[in-house]
Amino acid sequence: MSDASYRIGIDVGGTFTDFVLADVPRRTLRFHKEPSVPGDPSLAVERGIEALFAQNGITSDEVELVVHGTTIGLNAIIQRRGARMALVVSKGNRDLLEIARLRLPSSYDFTEPREVPLVPRDLVFEIDARMKSDGTVLTPLDPAEVEALAGRLKASGVDAVAILLLNSYRDAALEVELATHLRRALPGVLITESGVIWPEVREYERGLVAGLNAYIQPLMTSYFERLKARLKGKGITAPIYITANNGGTLSLETAEARPIDTVLSGPASGVVASTRVGNAASRKEIITFDMGGTSADIAVCQSGIPEFSTSTFVGDFPLMMPVVNVGAIGAGGGSIVWADAQGLLKVGPLSAGADPGPVCYGRGGTEPTLTDCYVVLGIIDPATFLGGRMKLDADAAFKAVDAIAARLGFAGPDRAIAAAEAALRVASAKMATEITKLLATAGVDPRTFALVAYGGAGPTHANLLAEEAQLTAVMVPTAPGTFCALGALLADVRRDYVRTARHLIGETPVANEAWMAISQVRQDLETEARAWIANEGDLIGESDIVVSFNMRYLAQASELEIVVPSHLLHDLDHRSLGDLFHAQHHKLYGFSEPRVPIQTATVRLAVIGRVAPVSLPSVTSSDPQPQGERTVWHGGRKWDAKIYARSQIGHGARVTGPAIVEQLDTTTFILPGWQAEADALGTLHLTREAA
Amino acid sequence: MKLDPILIEIFLHKVTAITEEMAITLQRTARTTYVKEAGDFGTALATPAGRFFAYPKVLGVSGFLDSNVGPALAAIDDLEPGDVILTNHPFASEGLATHMPDLHLIQPIFHDGKIVAHAWNFIHSADIGGGVPSSISPRFSDLFQEGFQIPPIKLVKAGVMNKDVVTLYRANCRTPEVNLGDIKAMLAALAVGERRVQGLIAQHGLDTFLQAQGDLAEYASTKALAVQKLIPDGSYDFWDLLDDDFNSKVPIRVRCRLTASNGQVHLDFTGSDPQVLAAYNIPTGGHRHPWLTLKLMHFIYSHDKTIPLNHGIFENITVEAPRGSIVNPEPGAAVGVRSATAIRLNEALVGAIAMAKPGLMPAPSGGIMIPSVLVETDSLTGERNVMVLQSLVGGTGARNGADGVDGRDSSLANQRNTPIEKTEEEAEATIVDYSLRQDSGGAGCWRGGTGVTFSVRIARSGSAVLGRGMERFVFRPWGMAGGRPGEKARVVVNRGTPEERELGKLDIFYPQPGDIVTIMTPGGGGYGDPLDRPAEQVLSDVLLGYISLACARDDYGVVIADEELDRGATTALRATLRTDRGAVPAFDFGPERSAWDAVFDDATMTDINALLMRLGSNARPQRRRELFERVVPRLPQVGLLPMHEAIGDIPEAQARAQAELARLRSEIESIHAGS
Repeated sequence: MSDASYRIGIDVGGTFTDFVLADVPRRTLRFHKEPSVPGDPSLAVERGIEALFAQNGITSDEVELVVHGTTIGLNAIIQRRGARMALVVSKGNRDLLEIARLRLPSSYDFTEPREVPLVPRDLVFEIDARMKSDGTVLTPLDPAEVEALAGRLKASGVDAVAILLLNSYRDAALEVELATHLRRALPGVLITESGVIWPEVREYERGLVAGLNAYIQPLMTSYFERLKARLKGKGITAPIYITANNGGTLSLETAEARPIDTVLSGPASGVVASTRVGNAASRKEIITFDMGGTSADIAVCQSGIPEFSTSTFVGDFPLMMPVVNVGAIGAGGGSIVWADAQGLLKVGPLSAGADPGPVCYGRGGTEPTLTDCYVVLGIIDPATFLGGRMKLDADAAFKAVDAIAARLGFAGPDRAIAAAEAALRVASAKMATEITKLLATAGVDPRTFALVAYGGAGPTHANLLAEEAQLTAVMVPTAPGTFCALGALLADVRRDYVRTARHLIGETPVANEAWMAISQVRQDLETEARAWIANEGDLIGESDIVVSFNMRYLAQASELEIVVPSHLLHDLDHRSLGDLFHAQHHKLYGFSEPRVPIQTATVRLAVIGRVAPVSLPSVTSSDPQPQGERTVWHGGRKWDAKIYARSQIGHGARVTGPAIVEQLDTTTFILPGWQAEADALGTLHLTREAA
Repeated sequence: MKLDPILIEIFLHKVTAITEEMAITLQRTARTTYVKEAGDFGTALATPAGRFFAYPKVLGVSGFLDSNVGPALAAIDDLEPGDVILTNHPFASEGLATHMPDLHLIQPIFHDGKIVAHAWNFIHSADIGGGVPSSISPRFSDLFQEGFQIPPIKLVKAGVMNKDVVTLYRANCRTPEVNLGDIKAMLAALAVGERRVQGLIAQHGLDTFLQAQGDLAEYASTKALAVQKLIPDGSYDFWDLLDDDFNSKVPIRVRCRLTASNGQVHLDFTGSDPQVLAAYNIPTGGHRHPWLTLKLMHFIYSHDKTIPLNHGIFENITVEAPRGSIVNPEPGAAVGVRSATAIRLNEALVGAIAMAKPGLMPAPSGGIMIPSVLVETDSLTGERNVMVLQSLVGGTGARNGADGVDGRDSSLANQRNTPIEKTEEEAEATIVDYSLRQDSGGAGCWRGGTGVTFSVRIARSGSAVLGRGMERFVFRPWGMAGGRPGEKARVVVNRGTPEERELGKLDIFYPQPGDIVTIMTPGGGGYGDPLDRPAEQVLSDVLLGYISLACARDDYGVVIADEELDRGATTALRATLRTDRGAVPAFDFGPERSAWDAVFDDATMTDINALLMRLGSNARPQRRRELFERVVPRLPQVGLLPMHEAIGDIPEAQARAQAELARLRSEIESIHAGS
């Protein structure tokens, strides 16, 4: 065991399960793609590991760590294939999920339906028990009512139960007491208490954290157990970690207890990998651009750190927990290109997805997609797509795009080419506007940012998008098709905590007392977090703590989150925290109000357990020779683009656009007027040529 | 359309994104709760003439798309680069501002010395002075009581802030710091808009930019016309009633005649009631106006979701809103609660469209928006803590093919609610119930959405509960195409106890500690014959608790025993009910409005209003009240007493109505003969 030196990153996707094998001391990475098995995703994991072992001649006892990302939980929520579950609420709060936050999806469209509630109304049970907002019990449990409730739950045949008693964010004791009774009465039923899983104010959002956790827990637990058994069957005894929404990882045991922490982990892992690749090239301001078959996602990272959000969505439901802020900005390669009744060209929102997929896949798709447009324009070579494993039908793509050209009123022999280019322009314009808006939300200037492109279509479209969004740089990592699996390998162990601490700070008579109380909450959180991380595995070295406070001026409507700089953590007092708040308020609003008392609302804490890092491998230098040329259409004219193999691109290699770089998992398009240079890790940096 | 179709599509994304970026900038930095939580703000880009050619899709208030900044700009004769115009004046801006807490800013965008567009935004500010904190109350009888009036003026002149304006403004609102923070956010958003427009011109050229404004409107107009052609040619009259005019129990009637001709739509609001001495008047300037066309926009958008949001949507619509009426009051009228009237007016518009062709529109929703407020007094310090308990709405109406949505309503503001736990952080009081109101949705083949029941247990002595915007206490949200009306709203104290008391519509109520105050909102109207609703769905509604067993039996003719359908009994009961009932009406207004309309039919009301309009605007309200109270002597008791009971014997009331009409006519003729 002592010479175990390999780590395996695994990302289960809809079509492929991706693998990255890292040989830590020798600094090498090996990649593998295995077709997914939707009925039993762990089977593809097992097959992929067998393949990895065979290809690289290693044995199970040489593996020191397995990090695994999965979308099983997310898919179960989106497709509503989770557990049959019940929700237990305080009396009077039965319609929590029916009324939700009141707002409907569309203000204009009366045909737009509301979301289907997570739990149907007849599986929501009331109990006359709740807390007060000061953390004391308003109505205690009545044993007879608890017993009756257990009977009703049993009769309803549920596999999971979520409990949300009002104001339990202040103290979960009442929920825990109820859960204890129910666990005894309903053996085998998985129960989630809202105040345990995520004790933050707002009953609908907290109820959903508990509800979604309960909804996917039976499914996830059985998947994780099957995965563990399969890996054990292969002789792998190394610890298994699961990727998390916050860009970190969790031990398998924690992930089984808190599967909600893992539902948005896939995109988060790609962002983690992007920051590593960016940091290695001293590019700390990046926008990640992950374009796959059905959608394109972006995230903003500043100073090498991903931006977090506490207001994302999982399917139809808001998620209040901190997650890496990945936003969908529209079209993927499978997005359908069409013309409306007035002859305007539209891209999406409908997608041909993976099945039937684009017309050129020849699997029954009849409506042209962006991928068909790449083929028509010569950007993708139908003969070498996926390394030639899948021959594309270029004629069918051409005919389908030509039909759109006719609807647009285009004429001439090249009308299909004009339509294909127009579709890419529309898609780029739409995505560029979304990038501008996202940066406006973050309040930052786009010109300093580089686009990091990955996913099957990311490198194909990134340069077009950068040109339209007036970004000055694009980065394409060496293995864009398995980037999320790489991100899994690169992540540290991380968990977030939250507690309420509503106190006035500042120069008030009770300031000291209030500060003691706030400090106590923070101390308790840190103790809990450190105890947790200590049991999270032996690979973890040092751990770091990040603390932030949600604060506001007294009677102000909204809060600001103030992150405490690490050098202030040890001797933070109410004055220094107040100064941080005033300064942040001034930065954002242009004024501060030093005489108005400040109120803290929430304490947030993250614990990050550092895992001995995997170094990204360097590539040798090379002077690549083009493998050929082909005609590519761009800007309304033909170009002779040189074709390069990615495997030939080593450190310092330069490629001048128009050019195409082909590799097994993607095609990179470099525009006329742009050039690319590979850094020491092999990452291609595309920049506009100096005029 | 002159530009190529690709460029138009690309411009559509770009100009929309500019307005959305403006909205993001505004929302990120604004201070007031109305912006942060409720989203009560707007951003847009306007043509040089003042109509919006770009508008955000999801951010801010959806309803102001048909606004016009032209009249406000016309008031300024020396516009120059760097100017920003400020106004909140409903009359001087001819209905751009529709009540005074709404601050509007307009920045003309110059290119080579010529105005090429305007950036616009507005926010609902926390306070603009006047008789109550937050500046809105139905009780105000003129504009001066509603706060600080700002006709269009230059807040910023050639890039320099006008400090005198700021000083004057600060002195006239209760929350100057918050308001100024908001103005800074608004200016930042306008600057983003102007910068992005200049970037767009640099990239595509001025001619293309100006052409795109026209092409986008033409594109929208073409799409809108195609949808409007769904309305068969003809004229359709419809009206709806507000419960009362605040000063008395006389209902306010809004009337709409929709005339469709090959897709062109004319809306004539003649016959609507005269303006009132309360804050229910809608300042429209007598033009086509967002409040007058809102439901037509929803109709158009719901039938073509790809339509771009710009003024082109409305270019096939004309309106007539007579001056002196509630839909176009004389300058100086109070307008703070104009939304209550606008909801009713737009439901009249829904009715007119439905008369033209059943199934084009959903039945009306609960049709109310109540920001219910609790005031608690600290017994030691005497300090008063004012907080919003909950934003209360009813359910949405059913439509052909879908049930209404329970307990929610997007039709006017589509705001978010306040979590119980957030309310209880602020209040000593406890929220003991916030749930769907069983049996309140109008029965129908498609069921109307239920209203909600909201109950608060009062903790402190000296507490008060307030709720403006309370409507549908007297008249119900009506049913369509055989569907039944929704339940009326109620307010009850200590419900289900021996001390239970019906409070009716409340303005302010002072409960005792321990009292439980319950507000019940109306359900949406039903659509289609309830006897046609599949029995399995009725059973499901019972099992899920949306309706009671009694309702299933009485309204739907469905017999359920031990949670199972009794199919035989159901078939028999449905047959009996069908025979007894006869044909179903196109609209079911409920007994209250049926009685009122029988006495005050359209011809009588049109005559009364035409005569009243010949009186001076100050003389109308009192004379009007006298007339109705003579015809229905028990009218002052309406609220607790249902309207049809107050009216009593209908033929007798009809006779009184005709006598009073004759008396009014002779009075007015003698006044005019004498003058």
